[in-house]
Amino acid sequence: MEQKDLTPESPVVREPEPVTEEERLRRARPGLKDWLELRLGWWGFVRKNLDEPMPPGVGWWQTLGNLVLTLLVFQFVTGIALAMYYSPSPDTAYQSVKHITENVTLGSFVRGLHSYGSSAIMIAIVLHILRTFFWGSYKRPRELTWVVGSVIFMIMLGFSFTGYLLPWDQKAYWATVVGTRIIATVPLVGESLLVLVRGGEEVGALTLTRFYAIHIMLLPAGLIALTGLHLYLVRRHHIAGPVTPVKGRPRPFYPSQLFKDAVVVLVGVGAVVFLAIAMPPGLEGVADPTGTDFAPRPEWYFLGLYELLKIMPPGYEVLATFVIPGIISVGMLILPWLDRSRSRHPGKRQLIIDLAMAVILLIGLCTLKGILETPPPHTPSEASHSAAAPETATMAER
Amino acid sequence: MSEPTQSTKFGEEPESPQRRKVLGWLVGVINLLVVGAVIGPVLGFMGGPLARRRESPQWIPVMDESDLPDGSVREVKYAVRVQDGYRIANHEYVVYLKRNGSEVIALDPTCTHLGCRVKYQEEKSRFFCPCHGGVFDAEGKVVSGPPPRALDRHSAKFEGGKVWVKREA
Ligand code: HEM
Ligand code: FES
Repeated sequence: MEQKDLTPESPVVREPEPVTEEERLRRARPGLKDWLELRLGWWGFVRKNLDEPMPPGVGWWQTLGNLVLTLLVFQFVTGIALAMYYSPSPDTAYQSVKHITENVTLGSFVRGLHSYGSSAIMIAIVLHILRTFFWGSYKRPRELTWVVGSVIFMIMLGFSFTGYLLPWDQKAYWATVVGTRIIATVPLVGESLLVLVRGGEEVGALTLTRFYAIHIMLLPAGLIALTGLHLYLVRRHHIAGPVTPVKGRPRPFYPSQLFKDAVVVLVGVGAVVFLAIAMPPGLEGVADPTGTDFAPRPEWYFLGLYELLKIMPPGYEVLATFVIPGIISVGMLILPWLDRSRSRHPGKRQLIIDLAMAVILLIGLCTLKGILETPPPHTPSEASHSAAAPETATMAER
Repeated sequence: MSEPTQSTKFGEEPESPQRRKVLGWLVGVINLLVVGAVIGPVLGFMGGPLARRRESPQWIPVMDESDLPDGSVREVKYAVRVQDGYRIANHEYVVYLKRNGSEVIALDPTCTHLGCRVKYQEEKSRFFCPCHGGVFDAEGKVVSGPPPRALDRHSAKFEGGKVWVKREA
């Protein structure tokens, strides 16, 4: 019958017979609230999500995805705000960031939220990856959830790489000079790729506008689309229970799991807010392409790669810049098909766990080494010195 | 299809309404805190320009007194150094100066209707607005057209052989 096609909420389906005159009118002209609900189904959607079944054993580890999501919203909001004061040109970028930090109401705080937020999101996302990896959540039927997640992770790295250049201070400039140089080591097309990424032979005005466009338009567009897809897939396949099933029946997402999510979000956001207040982000001297005594250093989560590069014997750099990262990235993308074992239990997929441990250890140790060898970040008081001072400050600290 | 009730779909003891209420309330409080942590500062940040104090206007010499004969109207451009966000800029302004003996008046060329730039025509001794046909006399008073009031004036004076102008906000 035709009526069966209507949504289950439709009053027509639930129609009690016979109908009073008043009832007939109400149905013909529903109030605004009913009308909206009939058209949008919003509260039905909210209810469905709040009632999403959580298998027993699901708990704190499953809160990380939501933390990432919240921090992501923070990045978008603070990023849009910063873009209102920022000016992407070598002549103005540094001045505008300095202006934000020193003169704009709450400028240093908002900048701090964005910059510590980017670090926090990296930590949260890596924890989220580790948790889905060890729980074997990437296995059938959630392969695409993992693949989409992996692409998102690469987009995140792109965000951080392009964002790092924007303040156009010494740190930004030199990290980008060195970081883009890495691209040139790609076999065959390296030099052309370098020009493409830099928008020219050298890091300059076109690099800045290019990075800015990528940072505020290309990557956000991709990220929003893929995050939407990721969340859709998460809901479609429901959350995976523990690897060894726990006795009991599922519980609804609301309120217990949502409460755990909220607590973790509070801690994560609290940490970012605290850091933004306690250690306002600094700014070094304006980018100086002629400076010779500045030690370039990338954002801390690229330090692993940076260290790997340092320990490579001469002539084998391409291993660290291209081969090893390439293998790890591809391996991550196709993980669901590398690991064909039926079981999600870590004990039953020893090989892949061992491989992953090796990778985690490699990245972890290299990053740790990098962090220990890097001078501590500049404090704002140092940063406010004249343009020539920061290089000497860096040298003195080493 | 009937909606599954909570007790059939979920754990054997359905969550007590009390617990649902308390946790729901806590989630609400946390969400408010978290949303406030970003929206508050960002609104303050974006609204920053509202809190900025306007720089108080300065007297600026714009031309020699001798270049402004009695009864004449002259258009002058002059620049003021202003803080423009992160940069110091030379903001250029235009005023019309009219001399009446030892008095000088400075007229702002912004049409009082919708802000087009009016132009003075010497032979007619009138200001004409190119947008909707507003016409003002040499003193800035409305002659015809839609403008609701006379052209705005800035402070102006002679001093030390110069004409000085102070822009009113
Ligand atoms: C924008 C970044 C991301 C957001 C907002 C996000 C969000 C979420 C959320 C809310 C969940 C459900 C709750 C949870 O398990 O924590 C989830 C599950 C999942 N995520 Fe992500 N995620 C992101 C990135 C990633 C990445 C980088 C990966 C891996 C490469 C990944 C792989 C997965 C998998 C496989 C699941 C299913 C977990 C299960 O069913 O047990 N996600 N994600
Ligand atoms: S703006 Fe001048 S007449 Fe309308």
